Amino acid sequence: MTHTLHRVGNPESLSRDYILLFMPSKDINHVGSGPKLRKMLEISLKNGAIRIGDCRLGNEYYQGGLDKLLEHVEDRAVVHAVFNDLEKMTAALKELKSADLGLSVVVSGLFDKVRECCKISELPFHTVNNSLGRWGRTDRLPPQDVLELNTMCGHGMVTVKLIEDTATKVKNREMTPEQGAERLFKPCMCGIFNADRAAGLLEAMAQK
Amino acid sequence: MLIDPEKCIACGQCEVYCPVGAITIGDECAEIDFDECTECYNCLRMAHCPADAIYQQKLEWPRTVRSVLSDVLTIAPESGISGRGTEEMKTNEVTGRFKHGWAGIGIEVGRPVVGARFYDVEKIAMAMAKLGVEFESSNPTTSLMSDVKTGKFKDDVLNEKVLSAIIEFSVPLETLDQVLSGLKQVSRQIETVFSLCVASRVAPDGSIPTHSVMHQNGVWFAPNGKTNVGLGRPLIKEDSI
Repeated sequence: MTHTLHRVGNPESLSRDYILLFMPSKDINHVGSGPKLRKMLEISLKNGAIRIGDCRLGNEYYQGGLDKLLEHVEDRAVVHAVFNDLEKMTAALKELKSADLGLSVVVSGLFDKVRECCKISELPFHTVNNSLGRWGRTDRLPPQDVLELNTMCGHGMVTVKLIEDTATKVKNREMTPEQGAERLFKPCMCGIFNADRAAGLLEAMAQK
Repeated sequence: MLIDPEKCIACGQCEVYCPVGAITIGDECAEIDFDECTECYNCLRMAHCPADAIYQQKLEWPRTVRSVLSDVLTIAPESGISGRGTEEMKTNEVTGRFKHGWAGIGIEVGRPVVGARFYDVEKIAMAMAKLGVEFESSNPTTSLMSDVKTGKFKDDVLNEKVLSAIIEFSVPLETLDQVLSGLKQVSRQIETVFSLCVASRVAPDGSIPTHSVMHQNGVWFAPNGKTNVGLGRPLIKEDSI
């Protein structure tokens, strides 16, 4: 439901983290939606998306490459594009509006930036979903830097142990921050884990 | 998920992929704590076991619940989509699920990191049911309730562990403060965490009506979140007139 929501981070780090989600609605416009969803992903890539993903069949790594991911998109899939640059995402939104493919688009990111981008793209702020954070036994949660990486996969597949192990390897120079981020990306089946942002976070963890 | 002790070489490659820390590495082989395992599939999918020792046993009720609510690639029959939830606000411009004057609530129990047993999910659902909420019927978590009026779950799922389960419903805006107050209380009675979200239509003047309720109740909300930008078609009647 909310796999692109609840991403933890400070505004500076989050300013490099935007996701476009594309989705048909069951029994309303899902028939024939596969090719439209594919087109939306292609528009995103053309405008500088750093990753694309498919909740139904898995990320590009799991499916064996970007071409296969694009080829396999089905009706009723939920697909995404990740951006690390607001201007590029705005350009993608403008082109998506022009393409008028008739499927829902949800933008995840800092609300004030997304509002700017909607204004430029002449798109409405239709419905919003706010994260009210974490409640209950928050004493059972890992430190903030680990949580920032973990919450970039809303389904929890980027585990705390994998993050800690990767951070140690980066610190010990057994892998670069970019290699570490790529390792963390792979279990995120929806492909919404922002490896670019993750590399920066891993680098900061290594300097502690 | 299980590990074949005859094949396992205790290399430890799988351990880091378990989101709930259910895999331990012994001297001769790795072991999965069967009661803690959520059947999320991450170890089998990602560890690339060099001995081919990890295998999926036959899943039977009520353990099947674990897979539906933990493995992202399992399709939930209630919603028809992968993942643990529903279309919620993502397609709101065509479904009209959340109308002006209403708030959509998503309580994702177990997220992040900790995971959840259904006895905790039930505590929260029963607290919300007392407010007279109607749980979202297409949500897979709702389908596990024995009584949607009280939020009671089927007895045989109560000890099942999942990565997360989403309690989902809508309430009139004037009830939102009671929901937040009820959640504050029940959050002190559970062994796990939950991530909370509140969705709403943006008012014609651009304001977000739920924000004032959250401010009045001293409830923090994040500067980042999700925005539906209204590109789905056909628009629901409320929007097209």
